[in-house]
Amino acid sequence: MFLLNKTKNNKNVLPSLFHLLHLSHKFSHQYTTITTTTTHPPNLIIDNKWEAIIGLEIHAQLSSKTKLFSNSSTSFQKPINTNVSVFDAAFPGVMPKLNSKCVDLAVATSLALSGNVQLISSFDRKQYFYPDLPAGYQITQHYEPLSIGGKIALSHLDGLEYETEVRIKQIQLEQDTGKSIYDIKPGFALIDLNRAGIGLMEIVTEPDIRSSKEAGLILRKLQNILRAVGSSDGNMEEGSLRCDVNVSVHQVGTPFGTRCEIKNLNSVKFLMEAIEVEIKRQINELRIGNRIIQETRGYDVVKNKTFRLRSKETDTDYRFMPEPDLPPLILTKEYLERILNASPELPDILKTRLINKYNISLKDVKALMGEEGGVEYFEKIVQYRNRNPKLVSNWITQDLYGFLNRKNIKFSKNPVSIEQLGSIIDCIEIGDISGNIGKQILAQMISGDTRLASVIIEEKGLKQINNITELETICQDIVMQNTENAKLVREGNQNVFKWFVGQVMRITKGKANPQIVNELLQKLLQ
Amino acid sequence: MKILSGSNNVLSNFKKSRYKLSSKTRQLSLLSITEANKLLREKKVSATTLVQDCLSRLKKYNAQVNAFIEIQKEEVILQKAREAENRINEGINNKLLDGIPIAYKDNFCTQDLTTTCGSNMLRNFTSPFNATVVELLQDAGSIIIGKTNMDEYGMGSANLYSAFGPVYNPHKIISDQESNIDKYEKRVAGGSSGGSAAAVASGMCFAALGSDTGGSVRLPASYCGVIGFKPSYGLCSRWGLITYANSFDTVGIITRTVDDSQLIFDIISKYDEKDSTSLSPKLRAFNSLISYNSPLNKNEPLDLSGLRVGVPKEYMVSELSEPIIKLWKKGISFLKSQGATIISVSCQNIKYALSTYYILAPAEASSNLARYDGIRYGHQSEKNLSQLINNNENTELLYANTRDEGFGIEVKRRIMLGTFTLTTGSYENYYLRAQKIRKLIQLDFNKIFRRQNPLQQYFQYFINQNNNNNSNNSFYKKEGVDVLITPVTISISPKISDYNNNNFLNFYVNDIFTIPANLVGIPAISIPFGKLHNYPIGLQLMSQYGDDLTLFKVAKTLEQI
Repeated sequence: MFLLNKTKNNKNVLPSLFHLLHLSHKFSHQYTTITTTTTHPPNLIIDNKWEAIIGLEIHAQLSSKTKLFSNSSTSFQKPINTNVSVFDAAFPGVMPKLNSKCVDLAVATSLALSGNVQLISSFDRKQYFYPDLPAGYQITQHYEPLSIGGKIALSHLDGLEYETEVRIKQIQLEQDTGKSIYDIKPGFALIDLNRAGIGLMEIVTEPDIRSSKEAGLILRKLQNILRAVGSSDGNMEEGSLRCDVNVSVHQVGTPFGTRCEIKNLNSVKFLMEAIEVEIKRQINELRIGNRIIQETRGYDVVKNKTFRLRSKETDTDYRFMPEPDLPPLILTKEYLERILNASPELPDILKTRLINKYNISLKDVKALMGEEGGVEYFEKIVQYRNRNPKLVSNWITQDLYGFLNRKNIKFSKNPVSIEQLGSIIDCIEIGDISGNIGKQILAQMISGDTRLASVIIEEKGLKQINNITELETICQDIVMQNTENAKLVREGNQNVFKWFVGQVMRITKGKANPQIVNELLQKLLQ
Repeated sequence: MKILSGSNNVLSNFKKSRYKLSSKTRQLSLLSITEANKLLREKKVSATTLVQDCLSRLKKYNAQVNAFIEIQKEEVILQKAREAENRINEGINNKLLDGIPIAYKDNFCTQDLTTTCGSNMLRNFTSPFNATVVELLQDAGSIIIGKTNMDEYGMGSANLYSAFGPVYNPHKIISDQESNIDKYEKRVAGGSSGGSAAAVASGMCFAALGSDTGGSVRLPASYCGVIGFKPSYGLCSRWGLITYANSFDTVGIITRTVDDSQLIFDIISKYDEKDSTSLSPKLRAFNSLISYNSPLNKNEPLDLSGLRVGVPKEYMVSELSEPIIKLWKKGISFLKSQGATIISVSCQNIKYALSTYYILAPAEASSNLARYDGIRYGHQSEKNLSQLINNNENTELLYANTRDEGFGIEVKRRIMLGTFTLTTGSYENYYLRAQKIRKLIQLDFNKIFRRQNPLQQYFQYFINQNNNNNSNNSFYKKEGVDVLITPVTISISPKISDYNNNNFLNFYVNDIFTIPANLVGIPAISIPFGKLHNYPIGLQLMSQYGDDLTLFKVAKTLEQI
């Protein structure tokens, strides 16, 4: 199993798993069913001449509880050098043991990106000396990665005016390094190995990106997919998602230019800025007749400039070698099906489904998806009593979000239950209360009232007055008492008409059915 | 304690120990484990007496032989012996190795004693954990007597490359009952498990673990006149065995009899989830199923009728001396006389084995040894330390100084060699080609053996089973051999004076007969078989992957001569 397979070159005999991806409808792409006007890519050519070619290399920390090859915790907030086992510190005599949870997460991610998960993949050592790399090598998947191919599509759903697709080259599992800390004790490099050995997915795109905007949207979208799958929290500030970018420019119609890699871009904003300035830099260099030298660059946020880190000539030779302590990772089709069936719905498919099924706007869908659990909350309220989806989404995205926001409460801590918000909508629907009263009740619920709307209405006597005779009397009284104003209305002053409505509402404490009041007053003031 | 053999004493009923002494007297500490166990159980000897006998020999000979790097404190050993004694006396919790002193090569991690790998790099290093095999043997009641000397990180075949000095072949002083080794022209104990072989041969312990990457257990066993067994790759856990070359390294067992070897093997051949290359319980069960269907299964012990013995042509190399060829032939005739059929076999690609090994093993070693950088444990250079501070760029200089001071010449040589073969450009030309040849050699051996390789048969078997096409006959081919018989070494133990730093390449040739078993992962055993110039020499048996039991069976017969 181990020894005998190690030398096999499996590359050409690996079974294709494409057919497997069609087993479930979950991941079949349905964008085409959305009716939108087809838009063509705008001219991405700079100054009628230059085109930028961009590819991303993304490292996403896996959200497994333990590390990729040891039982140490991956918890973020632990004292320095406490999440460290003998394996993580590369003591003599230790051996790696693959964490199956990490494989589950990476496979789910790959399937979500339409990747071709390899039934046989293997691990390699990438060798270089660095104080925060205890073994002197990183275990990665260089020769036979976990997944090959895949794609991320962008469209108006993501905020792009046209449609484009960025291919994924491969996805591989690998170890994170420790951290070197240089600024605490001058002259010393302090090493924290808590991060050493945490599982990473390296996701490499093909050079299919043409602008900083596309790059930013791809990174955002990937972030959303990782979160939807649950494979990584995708948090760039905490470093659980890191991004390097390759940029080259060339004149249209000529071969691609020499690329430069910009390392360690730790936000979407910086990624986009770095690409912008790097494209400008390269075009300027070429314009004045210089060559672009293949090199690794950094991005200075303050100066908004990229700068040389090292040239290709001084690059390390990583001396990749198959990891002899780990047998090949062999997956079965049954396993892939199991992971596929357990996977949650992906953002694009969810968006399309919500738009098609409930006939609500993309803006509302995005707002619902913008909050963890928002879509579920919405769907439950709609489905429970077959309520009007448009109405429900308005109540959630405008009124509920608005109140929560004002009170600085996160949606995850939303005190209004599905039944409560549903009861408000129902009470309005059957005419028990007006929309305004509904908002008052919602405010009361957010302040901690856990009762249903109907109970609150009953107790406070907020029930709407629908009795025409009763309302007619009130309206007649008001018109009689304000003959001057009535005259103005009859002359066509609509503002004064609104004043009459307000008077009725004042007298009835807002309980009068506004529609009936409107009709009655119109009749009386004709 | 001396016991006269032949007189009416406790030993008279025992099978004669295979370890032959020129003297008429035999020592307690030179008994086999099986014999010692019986004495202990029958309470004819106490565990304390047993370990004291080993300790007295250790004190007497270690200064001459240099077999141990660190010896366990005497009071700890005696305490353990008393505990074993109590268990034996109470007759409860009796364990297979109660009170038996065992030594470990100094590349097995132990919490109680330092683990140096024979290197200055780890001179003062104590591991925070025990190797799995150390745990298993301790659980079986054995007592750690100490850590044995070795070639640095297992790299060497003469045990001259140790930061703790060479190990000398103990054969003469033991057989002559001399106390000063300087009387003889010193010869090597063999390597890299030289300390383990010398310790067992001189009765300082009953068994010792070594490690076998290219012959490191079989070679010193042959030179010192003891049994050296390298099990199938993946049967004994490597967790806690400090790596030299992972895909070759196996735990090795050094004992005075084949029975003892099998006893230790039975204890340590266990699946270990900490070692991802450990053979899974499923595969172990499948392997037993193949053994159960063996055509040799009905044979009585020591009956070799039906056994097919292969003699590989390619082992007849020019370096082989005439007396060794004679010995080899004698071994072949003996097996034939016991009922075995002798078949000449060929393994074409074996001529590339040595070069393949010296490309792949150093490549793995160069990677494994990268962790010794002086940052977290082990030696750290103090050279120019003040310069290094305040200059982050200079961590590389710290590594270079540390590694320059910590590693010896042979280790540096192999790191350089391995680093070269993994460099872009060389990788395809050397490393990948060597891997392909390794695969070809594996296929060659699969062809030679009658028994099928369980690693290849496993999936096929279950496919057949699903198709109700279950035929156990497919486990054994009609043609093919059960074991191969070859020499272990090209000569008897060489003189120390034959070695110098300029002819190191010639000494890589010493591994020529042992390396194929490591390339293929199959079991191999070295059994003492006669003497030349009064120095012992062994023969080697090899069998199909997973067929360790047949190897023991044939070895026990060969041991009789």
